[in-house]
Amino acid sequence: MTGAERRNSGFGIRDSGLGIRAGVVGFLAALPCVVLAALSAWWFAGGLVGRGLWPPDDVTLAEAIATRNNAEALRLITIGADPNQPSRVRDGLLTSGYDVVIKPVEAAVGAQRADSLRMLLAYGAVVDERELRVLRCYEHTRRDSGVREILDLRAPGEPDCTGVRLPVDRVN
Amino acid sequence: MKPAVLAVLLAALITLPLAESVFQIPIQVSDSLEAIVIGAKYPSSWSLLADSAQFSTTTFRPMRYEQTRWLLQAAASTSLTYNTVFRAVHVALTVMLVLLFLLAIRVRRWIDVAAFAVAFPVLIGIHTFVAMLQEAFPVNHFAEVGVCALAVFVLARQSPKWFFPAIVCVLLAFALSVIESGAMVWVVAICCAAAGMRGMTRSSVVAATVLLGIYLLVRHALDITSPGIGGHGSGFGGTFYSPEELTQRFGAHPLGFIAYNVAGGLASLLFSEPRQGVYSLAIAWKTGEPHAVLLINLVSSIATSALIAWYAVTHLRGSRAGWSDIDRMFVVACAVMVVNAALNAAYIKDEIISVGGLFYAVAAFIAIRGLLETIPQRRLVASALIALFLMTDAGLWTFRAAGLHYVLRYDAFKTRNDWVELLRPDKRDDWPTDPQELAITRRIRDEVILRSVASPSFMPRWADRYWVE
Repeated sequence: MTGAERRNSGFGIRDSGLGIRAGVVGFLAALPCVVLAALSAWWFAGGLVGRGLWPPDDVTLAEAIATRNNAEALRLITIGADPNQPSRVRDGLLTSGYDVVIKPVEAAVGAQRADSLRMLLAYGAVVDERELRVLRCYEHTRRDSGVREILDLRAPGEPDCTGVRLPVDRVN
Repeated sequence: MKPAVLAVLLAALITLPLAESVFQIPIQVSDSLEAIVIGAKYPSSWSLLADSAQFSTTTFRPMRYEQTRWLLQAAASTSLTYNTVFRAVHVALTVMLVLLFLLAIRVRRWIDVAAFAVAFPVLIGIHTFVAMLQEAFPVNHFAEVGVCALAVFVLARQSPKWFFPAIVCVLLAFALSVIESGAMVWVVAICCAAAGMRGMTRSSVVAATVLLGIYLLVRHALDITSPGIGGHGSGFGGTFYSPEELTQRFGAHPLGFIAYNVAGGLASLLFSEPRQGVYSLAIAWKTGEPHAVLLINLVSSIATSALIAWYAVTHLRGSRAGWSDIDRMFVVACAVMVVNAALNAAYIKDEIISVGGLFYAVAAFIAIRGLLETIPQRRLVASALIALFLMTDAGLWTFRAAGLHYVLRYDAFKTRNDWVELLRPDKRDDWPTDPQELAITRRIRDEVILRSVASPSFMPRWADRYWVE
C-alpha cells in the first residue's frame, strides 16, 4: 500500500491513491451499499433471535385463512387447531377498524378463497344448516364464483338472509 | 483495514440475510418433486445415469437426477431433513457466486472498494440473479452454471498452470450435464482466450472444445434435439404467448421471432426490459400507468449500461495488444453478455441470461472503477455531477437488491402453499400409488408444512409496487 493510500482526509475519508476528491466521490457512491450492509447485519442479527426481517407471524387458524395462507392453516390443524373453532382475526384483514372472532370457514368466504374453503372441509370443518345459511349470505356481500359453487352444492338456490347476522358484524 | 477485507465484509454482511432468505424457500413441487422421486427410486447411481439419457427427447441432464440422488443419500446419512439439505446446497451456490465475483474483480485499492460497493448491488439486484435463487429443480442448475462460468473466468485471470485444462473440462462437463445452458462455460473459456486473458491457454480451449464436440455427438447419437419455437411459452411485444400460440404465430416463419428474442435477451440484460419477452413498457404506454418497479429497473439499468458503453468507447480504441488486463476482462464480460443473449433464440427467460447477468456486474465494476479513476483530471463541478450520478445509480441498484428479500419471501410463501394441494384427504384418487413415492411425497410435504414462512399480508403493502414486476 502506498503512502497516499494510507492518508486520511479531515472527514475520515481515505485517499484512494487518486486524490481526496476521488475518495469523496467513491465514498458517496459506496454509501447506499454501506447502508444496505448495515441493515443486512441488523436483519441477520435479529433473525438469530427470531425477530429478523419479516419473520413468520403468529396467526390464528382464521387469520391464516383470511391471509390466504393455506399452508399455515394446515400446519395449525396438524398441531391440533380445531377447524370448527372461531378465532380472532385482527383488524385490517377482513374488517376495517376492529377485530372479529369468526370461524375459519367464514374467514375463507370473507377472503373469497374457494381453495381454502375446500381445504377446511377436507380437514374436518363441519358446515351445518345454520352455518351454511350464514356462509351463503356472507358470500352475497363478498361475491366469489368458486366459493358460491361449493356452497351451492350443499344448498342450491337463493338464500333467505332475513335476520342473518354476518360473521364480520359480530362486534359490540 | 485493507480494501479487500472491507469488500469481503460488505459482501458477507449483505449475503448472510440473503442466504437466510434463500434457505427459507421450501423444496418446490413443480420440477423438483418428480426429480427427487426418480432419484430415490432407482436401485443404483449407475442405472440412473444410464436411463436418465432417455428421459427426454429435448434435454440431456443426467446430473440433474444424479446429484438429487446424492443429496437424498446425504440427508439419509446425516439425519437432516430433505429441505435442510437441498436448501443448504442452494445457499452454498449463492455464497459461491458472491465469492467468485469477489475473486474475479480482485479488490486491491480503495477505489476498487467504491466500485465494488456499486457493482455488488448490481450483481444481486439484477433480475437475472433472482432467477438463480427462486427456482430449483431441485438444485438450481442456472446457479451451478453461473458458478462454473465465473470459476473459469477467475482461472483465466491467473498465471497459466498445467492443470487448468483439466479444471476447465471438469467445470464444463458438469455444467453441460445439468442443463444445456452449461455451454456458457465453453463460451466464457473461448471469450477469455480470444481476449488474450493469460490463464486461458490454447490447450484449455482445445480440450474444452473437444469436450463440447463430444457432448453434441452424444446428444445426436441419443436423438436429443433442442426445443424450437413452441417448446416453451414466450412474450412478443406486450403479450405473453403459450407454446401453441407461438407455433401458430411464428412456426412457419421463425427468423423474425428469433431475431426478436436475441435482441430482447440483450436488451433485458442492458435495460431490464423485456422480461420473458414481454415489454412492460409497451403495456405501460398503452395503459398510461407505468409501475414504479419498471421505472426503477429501467433507470438503474440504463444508467449502468451507459457507463459500460462509455468505458467501451473510451478504453477500447486501440488493438487487442494495447488492452490492459482489466480491459480484457471487460471485453470478455461484454462478449459473454452478447453470446448469452443469442441462447434465447427460441424463447426468452431470465434464467437463460443469468450468466450474462453475472458478467454485466463485472463490466459495471470495471466501468465504475474507470470513471472514478478519471476524477483527478476533472473539474470540481464535473466531479460533483459524477458523484451524484453514481450515488443515484448505486441507490437504485441497492434498492433493487434489498427487494430480493421481499421477492424470496413471497416465493417461499407461494411454494409452501403449493404443497397443500398434494395428498389432500378428499382427493385420495390423486395420491401416488407407489409406496416409495407416496412416502417421499408425504415426508417432504410434512417438512414443508411445518416450516412457517412470512406471509405477504404482514409485509409492507407498498413492496409489491416497488419490487415485484
